[in-house]
Amino acid sequence: MMDYVDLVFLIMGISALSSVLFTFLTVKTKDLMYAVVFSSVQSVAYALIYFLLLAPDIVLVYVAVSVGIYPLIVILLVKKVGRYEVVT
Amino acid sequence: MLRDLVFASLLVIIILALTYLTYSGGLGDLPPRDVRVIASNYLNLTYNQGITWLWAASPEAVTAIVWDYRGLDTLFETVVFYGAILAALTLFRSVSKVPEFVSSAGLSLVVKRVTAIVTLAILAVAASTALHGHLTPGGGFQGGAIASVAPLLLLVVFGKQFFIERRISYSKLLTIRNASLALLGFTSVALLILGFLTGFQAYIFQNQAKTVSTLSYPPYLLDVPLGGSLFFFNLFEFLAVASGFTLVFTILLSRDETLRKELEGEELGY
Repeated sequence: MMDYVDLVFLIMGISALSSVLFTFLTVKTKDLMYAVVFSSVQSVAYALIYFLLLAPDIVLVYVAVSVGIYPLIVILLVKKVGRYEVVT
Repeated sequence: MLRDLVFASLLVIIILALTYLTYSGGLGDLPPRDVRVIASNYLNLTYNQGITWLWAASPEAVTAIVWDYRGLDTLFETVVFYGAILAALTLFRSVSKVPEFVSSAGLSLVVKRVTAIVTLAILAVAASTALHGHLTPGGGFQGGAIASVAPLLLLVVFGKQFFIERRISYSKLLTIRNASLALLGFTSVALLILGFLTGFQAYIFQNQAKTVSTLSYPPYLLDVPLGGSLFFFNLFEFLAVASGFTLVFTILLSRDETLRKELEGEELGY
């Protein structure tokens, strides 16, 4: 029998694992725009973990920064250095 | 190929090791069965109407700790954040003085209408997060960070011309930011100054009356808990963060030539 605490920890584990997967994709992909999107998805997984750990104060600022402000600044950077990573 | 394999297997090993440590009790009982002494003290005192000489008059314990019990720490944190923004503004100081002539018409009509509605919603959420920071989770920094997404969307979707036409200028934003910072500092010493003038004893970052000093911010507005100075700290932090972020965005979204001109000669050391 699974009580709700186990369920919460299960969801936290799944989102932690998926955040590792998206971090891996962020590092591996050669298209930097995709890298920004993968990195944002990883941040959303972290936001879910913060929420389940009962830290709504952190979630409020984390969502705004990681989904709004951080992708913008990185996209501005990508615009200046070029979209595709060149392997030499 | 070999590199990828090593990278992936390292990740798996780290995950398995952390899982083993956590599962075998490395972090103690999860979830913890008791509340630590310091936490239970804060929870017991923050809105305890029986012990009003130790309370913060705010039902939200996190905001009470951030801006009252540990207020000085937060002040220095704020100073670090504004130092960073100040450095960015100083680095590109002449960008603000060059009037930019942008002919950007922004994106299509559909995107503009949707963005207009979403912007209103974002600002409403930001205001409620900041102004109810002493009642519900949230606070000045959270509200300011949410609010700064709105001008960001407007800058991208409507183009910079939209801001220029509505006279939302660099110097106005800078004035709002500086004024809110000054008011934030004033809020922390207001009761101290009042104490000097009236001859009562008071101290820096005083919120509610204590046994040794009877001066106090109002704990209630009408019949709603106000949290004393917490409300003012949240309000000014909200304004300062929102205008500070907006300033940095307007600079970052300037034209490439303008920004590059500013950094010319960097390699020679001046």
